[in-house]
Amino acid sequence: MKILVCISCVPDTTSKITIDPSTSQISSQGLTFIVGPYDDYALSRAIELKESTGAEVIVLHVGGSESEALIRKCLALGADSAVRVDGNPTTSAQIANAIVSYVNQNPMDLILMGKESIDYNSGIVHGLVAGALGYTHFNPVMHLDIAGYGLKLEVEMDGGKMEVSCPLPAVLGCQEPIAEWKIPSMRGIMTARTKEIVVLPLESIGQIQIVKADIAETARKNKMIKAEDAEQLIDLLRTETNVL
Amino acid sequence: MKKVAIIAQTKEGQLSDTSIQLISFLSSFTPESILLVAIGEVKFASLPASKSVDVITLSEGLWADSSSIEPLLKIVDGFTVFGIKSIQVDNLLSLLAASSSQEMISGVQQLTYSAGKFTISKSIFSGKASLTVTSESASYFSLNRNFDFSGNAAYGDQSISSVTTLTNASGSKASILALKPITGAIPLPDAALVVGAGRGLKDPGNWTIVEDLAKALGAATACSKPVSDLNWRPHHEHVGQTGVKISPNLYIACGISGAIQHLAGVNGSRIVVVINNDPEAPFFKHADYGIVGDVNDILPRLTKKLQSH
Ligand SMILES: Cc1cc2nc3c(=O)[nH]c(=O)nc-3n(C[C@H](O)[C@H](O)[C@H](O)COP(=O)(O)OP(=O)(O)OC[C@H]3O[C@@H](n4cnc5c(N)ncnc54)[C@H](O)[C@@H]3O)c2cc1C
Ligand SMILES: Nc1ncnc2c1ncn2[C@@H]1O[C@H](COP(=O)(O)O)[C@@H](O)[C@H]1O
Repeated sequence: MKILVCISCVPDTTSKITIDPSTSQISSQGLTFIVGPYDDYALSRAIELKESTGAEVIVLHVGGSESEALIRKCLALGADSAVRVDGNPTTSAQIANAIVSYVNQNPMDLILMGKESIDYNSGIVHGLVAGALGYTHFNPVMHLDIAGYGLKLEVEMDGGKMEVSCPLPAVLGCQEPIAEWKIPSMRGIMTARTKEIVVLPLESIGQIQIVKADIAETARKNKMIKAEDAEQLIDLLRTETNVL
Repeated sequence: MKKVAIIAQTKEGQLSDTSIQLISFLSSFTPESILLVAIGEVKFASLPASKSVDVITLSEGLWADSSSIEPLLKIVDGFTVFGIKSIQVDNLLSLLAASSSQEMISGVQQLTYSAGKFTISKSIFSGKASLTVTSESASYFSLNRNFDFSGNAAYGDQSISSVTTLTNASGSKASILALKPITGAIPLPDAALVVGAGRGLKDPGNWTIVEDLAKALGAATACSKPVSDLNWRPHHEHVGQTGVKISPNLYIACGISGAIQHLAGVNGSRIVVVINNDPEAPFFKHADYGIVGDVNDILPRLTKKLQSH
């Protein structure tokens, strides 16, 4: 079985996001990048499946060469090989399209992604890839088991969960508790050095134009109420803000 | 935008208020036709529109692959398709968009349309920033639950011109083994009022004070990640970076420190109240109202006050 894990490389969750005034875009100054936390869940489950079933795990990232250290980390965790589609994608369609082109050349049984990237928060790349390839799609998946020639999944839905079975090939968006995040072993780090990262070009497609980025300022009132007057809160919520 | 379609989830036959607002909002662009694709049954009394609306309801079942969405794809061909963000809506929109080679924008916070061009503000970094984009060609849009309708609610006479039910008889290749709806509680993503609690509650047994307050308010309950990791509360209650993102009118955070990953899930809330016994808790900087105090003292008093009138 061949499993493709698509990873986003995103600013660490504690990053302070700033705008570069000269470009009106998000500044990359002072940001530390990590593999998207949901993508990390997807990768961890793929590695577990490799250990239990002997699956082959390939990691794919669409982005620039600055992400290679993070791709190496995925290899150190146990992925067999990696692909980087080189470029600076600005839309979900470009990312999805790059993944679809790769899979058209290299058919996969299972494609795992995070339920969303924590920079763009779109939550759609997996659906776009599934739609274009005609694969079965589920998102967000909380448990994944191989059952016969297909999968048994627990999937969150609006207002509950469902258990489904589906055939391969499939594209899944993953979320916890699908697997435990893993830490690379020393041996993993050593062997990752010699594993291959194939670099492919990114086709530019799509018509969405980015005009500018802005920081969202949510002004909060920051009013303190003394503990002994706590009941006042209810009055303030009723009169000052009309939320009750 | 000659033809617009709205994909909306219904609950017990009702459309959500935001879906209704969306229909009114889109009517203001005076399209030639409006199509409502309802996931689940829809009772028509709940449908206000200033134009006649065609309705398609999707039968129960999975709409999770190209073969099952084929009939729907033919119907929405040529439409500009909108939905209010939810798991099912986004999954369906993205499958439809890619199956018809259309571009999709998700996380839309503001949208204007003029001279054939959309200008969109999309929230990014869990609401910490936004991106302004323009597009002449994108035709699938998923709007945030707290989308800025800017008071646009031109409720008019309702009239339904036709209703069709689509079944995915052609067959999804997947099948449902079991459905586990969350019963009883108010679903977190839809809730207008939310009471969240964290490790400051010390023990799962102490959650009665949180539940009592939520009940007195008619609010849903939420928790921080460590609390669900410890199995004190169910996983689906955890809000934040890796959990549910909420945007209620009111969020009351009890015994939660206010880590940035927690804030990422709740900073879309209109009013934030923080109750914490540590005056230095970072959450206070992100609060509209703060009370430095012990949850065991404050929460029951708030509940009592609400119950008294
Ligand atoms: C990649 C990543 C993703 C993460 N995702 C999430 C996420 O989605 N959601 C999330 O919540 N966290 C997330 N976290 C964890 C996050 O960083 C914090 O550790 C977590 O939010 C802290 O939870 P807490 O506030 O309940 O606990 P604590 O930080 O332990 O805070 C407890 C608070 O309770 C107060 N307190 C104690 N006793 C009382 C009392 N009697 N009365 C009143 N107050 C009291 C204390 O002063 C303290 O401020 C993530 C972390 C990482 C690294
Ligand atoms: N640049 C990228 N390269 C590879 N995979 C990506 C990229 N961006 C997003 N993804 C995958 O798509 C998922 C959903 O992303 P999004 O639709 O942007 O929220 C992520 O969790 C990743 O698994």
